[in-house]
Formats: sequence, structure tokens, C-alpha cells
Amino acid sequence: MKKIKLLLGILALAFISSCSSDNAEIDTEYPVVDISGSNAFPIQCSTIERGKTFTFKASFNDNVALGSYSLDIHHNFDHHTHSTEVESCEMEAVKKPVKPMLFINNYTIPDGVKNYEATAQISIPADVDPGDYHFMIRLTDKEGWQTLKGLSIKIL
Amino acid sequence: MKNAQFLFWKSCFLLISLLLSAEAISQNQPSEKKPEIKELKEVLVNGNAVEKRKKEESLNVETVNSSFIQRNLGGSLMQSLQKLPGVKTISIGSGGSKPLIRGLSFNQVIVVENGLKHEGQQWGADHGLEIDQYAVNRVEIIKGPSSFIYGSDAVGGAVNIKPLPLPFKNTFGGSVDLTGKSNNAQFGSSLNLFGRNENWFFDTRVTAMDYGDYRVPTDKVQVYSYEVPLYKNHLRNTAGRELDFHLSTGYSGENLKSVFYFSNVYAKSGFFANAHGLEPRNVDTELHDKSSRDILMPYQQVNHLKVSNTTSFNWKNHAFETQLGFQKNFRREWSHYVNHGYMPPIYPEDMYAPQDLERQYDKNVWSFSAKDEFAINRHQITVGTNVVSQENAINGWSFLIPAFNQINAGLFVYDKIELNEKWFLHGAVRYDYGKIKMQSYYDWFQSPVSENNQTQLEYLQRSQDLTKTFDSFTWSAGINYNPGKLSLKANLGSSFRMPIAKELASNGVNYHYFRFEKGNPNLDAERSYQLDLGMEWNQQNWSFQLTPFVNYFPNFIYLNPTSAHDIYYGAGNQVFEYEQSEVFRYGAELQTRYYFIKSLSAEIAAEYLYSEQKSGSKKGYTLPFSPPPSVLLGLNYEPQIDFLKDTYFSVDYRFTAAQNNIVPPEKKTAESHVFNVALGTKVKTGKEDISINIQIQNLFNTRYLNHTSFYRLIELPEAGRNIIVSMKIPFSFSR
Repeated sequence: MKKIKLLLGILALAFISSCSSDNAEIDTEYPVVDISGSNAFPIQCSTIERGKTFTFKASFNDNVALGSYSLDIHHNFDHHTHSTEVESCEMEAVKKPVKPMLFINNYTIPDGVKNYEATAQISIPADVDPGDYHFMIRLTDKEGWQTLKGLSIKIL
Repeated sequence: MKNAQFLFWKSCFLLISLLLSAEAISQNQPSEKKPEIKELKEVLVNGNAVEKRKKEESLNVETVNSSFIQRNLGGSLMQSLQKLPGVKTISIGSGGSKPLIRGLSFNQVIVVENGLKHEGQQWGADHGLEIDQYAVNRVEIIKGPSSFIYGSDAVGGAVNIKPLPLPFKNTFGGSVDLTGKSNNAQFGSSLNLFGRNENWFFDTRVTAMDYGDYRVPTDKVQVYSYEVPLYKNHLRNTAGRELDFHLSTGYSGENLKSVFYFSNVYAKSGFFANAHGLEPRNVDTELHDKSSRDILMPYQQVNHLKVSNTTSFNWKNHAFETQLGFQKNFRREWSHYVNHGYMPPIYPEDMYAPQDLERQYDKNVWSFSAKDEFAINRHQITVGTNVVSQENAINGWSFLIPAFNQINAGLFVYDKIELNEKWFLHGAVRYDYGKIKMQSYYDWFQSPVSENNQTQLEYLQRSQDLTKTFDSFTWSAGINYNPGKLSLKANLGSSFRMPIAKELASNGVNYHYFRFEKGNPNLDAERSYQLDLGMEWNQQNWSFQLTPFVNYFPNFIYLNPTSAHDIYYGAGNQVFEYEQSEVFRYGAELQTRYYFIKSLSAEIAAEYLYSEQKSGSKKGYTLPFSPPPSVLLGLNYEPQIDFLKDTYFSVDYRFTAAQNNIVPPEKKTAESHVFNVALGTKVKTGKEDISINIQIQNLFNTRYLNHTSFYRLIELPEAGRNIIVSMKIPFSFSR
């Protein structure tokens, strides 16, 4: 009987001691991509012209610290993608890509920043296929939480 | 808030276990345990054999037989075993799952079938275990480190599917299993034939299954931030089919037994169509929703072939056993070509792989093992060795892991000492050696690389020629004390796991979760130390079992989500990189059953697990796929009815607590309340009894998420109400 009590004692200790080892709050919040601002660009259904450079603008927020972000423009000629936005845009007919625009880049955000106004210059070559494209914003925070924003845009 | 909830759970669990154990100890009146005779297929096995095994094994072992599987039949073997506390699954759709033992899975849990370690693509959460659950007669689940028996990988536990019992002498018979499920409109059938004269026998089985898309109690789901409408509650393209063959044949004599096993398990199943590729996708709903039974892209095909021979013979007081085995796991993932990174928009015509072949893994495994069991005085000693060699080839237009060759060898000694009827001591040591040789791989397309302001097009190298060797010494020590109705056990052991090719050298996109996964060639072999305790009380109307454990990993291998993105192959997706961190885990399972009267009993099964990373970039976080605490309450009524046998009615209620202890990219999962009912009986017809089992899973069609489901990350709910009817019709021919 003593042995059993001892065993239970050890068990109880193990549970209690582990309770106290619980450390401070960990970050479980996702970063936020905010494109509701008046100067945010592109937004859902925006149009961009070939042979010109446009400026990407969005504001990013996180409760602890932002990580980095990536931007990606790829064609949606096959209508494969749908966006994260409620509003839907008018689409051209399905077509085959010849020389679709492809843009992938990643950007750093200064360390320890909670709010960040992101801007990036992106130039669209004059010889790419016009049509429906998809603009992806992927934002992480320092802990590795990620938020996606997928926008439908048109290259004219 | 989170901590408060945890504390609450912990103290609840602690309190309940203490109260119940105190109760168990206070009830000390003697009573007779009736030896229960269980019918295991054609062979009668004394129920006490399982009891005895439990009492003489210092690790925590649960054994279930085919009638348990039949009563709790799920879509796949592990889903049928989920009722056991501490055993969960990582499920993919309705027809596949991987074992999750106390929160560990993939390469940390091994599956052994007929003595042969099952070698598939264990690391992938996107396909199930290639095991035919109709062919399973008896499964032993070891909840704890069993590296000393099985070598690398058995860190979290083992699922040991025992060989089929041999048919009785001079018999010829078989059985037909029929199964129907309402939720995914599944039809399944399995035909078994066996026979034996004096010494020669055979046992064959064919299993076929066909199921449609499974249904969930919702008409739209959120894949990350994307809303996906569902047609008639069907999870688009999750249909599947399976076709399996088995044959075991051989000779069984007084001192020699030699058995050949052959099996081929084939499965084809679809992936949820809106969530595969580089981002959540729009699909041709007209095409997809035309039929709920067709399997369109993306889908996978897996074929697992096993051939082995086990020969055992006795010589003096030695029992020798050798085993030779070959396995071939061939897995293909089909999906429309989606160019990403700098892949050309149109698939080149002269490519080495078909256009829709996204990935292909071809694994060949040869294994040999030998062991000798003998007794010296009170020592029962087992000495054994095994060598496994594997070749892994890859194909398809996408890259995730390189091709590799691997060899593992081990040597162990295990001593079980029976001090007297009540006391057993165990000690084991094992040495392992492993070598993995990975091959280099270059992209088949060029990507622009900027260097010194100059941009050049290059074929990027995704993996390098790399050879790594590992060796390890593991040990285990245990004790059993069985004073009458009470049995106590304790085991302290170490175990290890060699890093796999995925962890060392992956460098590509995981198309299910839209992430870029990167290996780490500097990983060490993972080590684990675990203390297991077990307490069991058994008397005629009341049984109780508590199995706590404490576990420490100095260097757990973990896929860490970083804040970076990959701009080449990853097309801007988030980078996940393998790292090692210290991990501390503990938990317990509790099971108790009380008989109010002979025919009415109540059951409680509960489990609790806590994991925390103690170092590294996710310090303070838990581990992925951590099952939340859960309690299963069951009522079971087994009336005696003339001309029927083993009739039962049961109601289960499973309460699963919320899982708020998460790690990126997981999401918090709310609590759930799910009810199941089951009934069944055996109809006496001549010599054989036809058994019928009916289950209604998720009785109230509750919408809930399972934290450990493969589809949890993309927020797909679990299956809605599912009525399962199964029937087993045995037959025999007189000779």
C-alpha cells in the first residue's frame, strides 16, 4: 500500500510541478494585411497597364512583431484562382498563356516592428500577355504565423 | 485565460485519477475472475493470454481483436482503433489514416505486420497506412518507446499486427464480410478462404472497397481565407477505392514452422479539389459535382506489395526465428500541371514525366531478421539482429525529397527475469547503425539568379549528394508487480530515430498546405527518454487502468514555420525549415469499466497530453498535431437472448476539449461533443454464427473539427452522421 501511495505522490508531483512550469503567454495571433486605406494599391479588381511601373501599397499590423512579406503576380487565364475578397471581378474568357507576366519577390520588414506601411515598385514589361491576373500578398509575423491576401487584377 | 483552462484540465484529470485509484485500492474483497474464452476467428484463444501478456510486459500494451475492429469499424484500421485512450489518428478523408500514439506519429510510430516493419511513405500526412483492416486479426499497441525491439523510429510506440492464427487441422472454410456506410456511400466486401490438412495450410483474402465523397454538416468551408461552397454537403473529390489481396501459406510441424506471406494493397483516392497546389483553387464545379463517386484530379494511387517468409524452429530450449522480407511501396500523386516559380507556363512536350504526374515515390525494401529465445534459470533471454536496406526513387514534375538509399542494422539483447509469480524484471540493450545516401537533383527548368547586378538563368540545384551515418545505443529497464487483482508496472527507456530524407534534404512545396519545406542536413539522430507507469485493477464487476508517462527529448526534430518566403520554387510561399529543440511531454490515459449487473456496464476512457518545446525558435509552444484532452463515456447493454449470441447495445459520448495550445500554422480547435450508438449480435445458424454490427457515428450530425485531422489546417469539418452496417458470414466445408 505504501508503494502505491508513493507512486501516486510522484504522479501528483509531476502534474503539479508541470503546472508551474507553464510559461508566459505565447503569441497565437495572425498578422493583418490591411488594404482598406485610401492609398492602398492594388485592391480587388484594380487594373494595371503594361510598360508602366506601379507602386504597391498596403499596411501591415501584428500584435508582437512582423516578419516579412512576399508578392507574387501570376496569370489567371484558366480561371483557377479565386480571391479572398467578397467582391468578384469581371473576367475575360479562358485563354492559353503565351508570355504571361510572372513576378515573385520577397521583402524584409525592419526587426521588431508592429505596424508597417509597405511600398514596393513593380514594373510591368510591355510585351507580356494582357488579361486576368492574380496578385498574392503573403505576410508573416516573427513567430511564423502567415496571412494570405489574394486579389484579382487585370493587366491592360 | 489559456493557462487557466490548462490548469483546470490538469487538476480535473489529476483529481479524477486520484479519486478513482483510491477507490480501486480500497475495494479489496476477493473475487474470482472467470477465465474468458474469446473466439478469434477459427482459433480459440484464452482471454487470459492477453491478460498475462499485459502483466508480464513493463511497457503499456493494449490488445484488440477483430471483433473489436468489427464493432468499431471506421474507414481505416487506425480509425477503428480510436476508441482506445491514447490512440488517435491523423486522418485523410474517409478512407485513410496514420496512427497517432500519445501525440506522436509519422516516423515516430512504427507499424509491424506479420513481424515485418511496414515501410511506406510514413512521413506524409496526406495518405493512410497501407493495411487492409479486414485482414487484421489481432493488434497490439505499445504506447511507449520500443526502440530496443524494433530499432530506429519506435520512439512514440508501435502498432503490432500479429500474424493470423493458423487454421485448425483438417479444416476448410472461410467467411464473407460485407460493409455499407451511409455517409460516403461506401460498399466494402472481403472474402476469406482457408484450409489445412495435418501440417500444410493456406489462408487467402480478397478485399474490395468503393466509396464516394464524404459529407459534412455544412454547405461551405473556409480554406485559409478563401470561401469554398460545397455541393450537397459533399467534400469535393474525396472518393476512393481499394483492392487488396492476401495469401499466407506454409508448413507447421512440431518443431518447425515456416510461413510465406504475400499481400498487395492498392488504393486510389481523391484529394479535396479546392485545396491542392500553390494556393486554394477554383475548380470546374460542373465537372466535379456531376458525380460524387468519380475520382478526378488531384488524386493519389498507392500500391504496397509485401512478400515475406517467417521460419521458426525449436532446438533444445532455444526457439529460433528468422524472417526474410521484401516490400515495394509505389505511390503517385496526380494533379494538373501548375507552373510555379519559373517553370514554363506550358508543360514541355519532351519532359521525362507525364504532364499530370506531380510526384512519384518508388520504395523497395529488403529486410532480414533473426532471433533466438532461450531460458536460463529465471532468465528468459532474447538475442536478435536485423538488417534493412532500402532504395527510394522519385519521379514527377515537382520536387520535394531526393532519391536515396538507406541501410539500417541493429543488434539487441533482452532479458526478462521472473523473480516469482508476482515480480518480473526487464532489461534490454540495443545497438543500431544507419546510413543514408541522398542523391543530387537539379530543377528541370531555369530560374533567373541575380549576382553582382547581373541576372542569369540557371538550373537550380535542389539537393546535393549527401551521405550521413548515425549510430545509437538504446536501453530499457522495467518492472512488474502483480499482487492479485492489482498490477503495477514501471518502465524507463531510451529510444532513437534516425532523421529521414524528408528532414535532411527536402526542398520543395507541400501542395496540400501551400508551404515551402526545407530540410536540414545537420540534424542529429533524435533521442527520447521516457518513464512509463501503469496501474491496473481487475475484479469481476470492476476494472480500472491508469497509465501515466513522462517523456523528454533533448533534440526533437520539428518542422519550424519561419517568417521567410521562398521566391523560386516556392512561388512566394512561406518557408518551413527542420530544426531540433528540447521537448518535454507528459500525459496519462485512464480506463475504467463497472458492471452494474452482468448485462449492463458503464465505461470511462480519458486521455490527457501536454507537450512543450523547451528550446529553439518555438520555445514555449507545443508540438503540432497535439490531441486535446478527451473523455469517452459509454454504456453497454449485453442481454441474453435465445438463438442469439453476444448481443450488445452501446451508446458512447465523446467529449473532446478545446485545443488552445497550438503552434504555427495551427488554429485553435473548439471543443466537441459527439455521440455514437452501436448494436450487434450473432445469429446461430448451424455450425457457424453470422455476426451483424450496426453503428451510427456522429448521431446528431454535429459539425465539429478534429484537431489532428490532415484537413484541419484548411478547416474541413469531420464527417457528418454515418450509418455503418457490417456483416460477417463464416462458412466451412466438411471434409
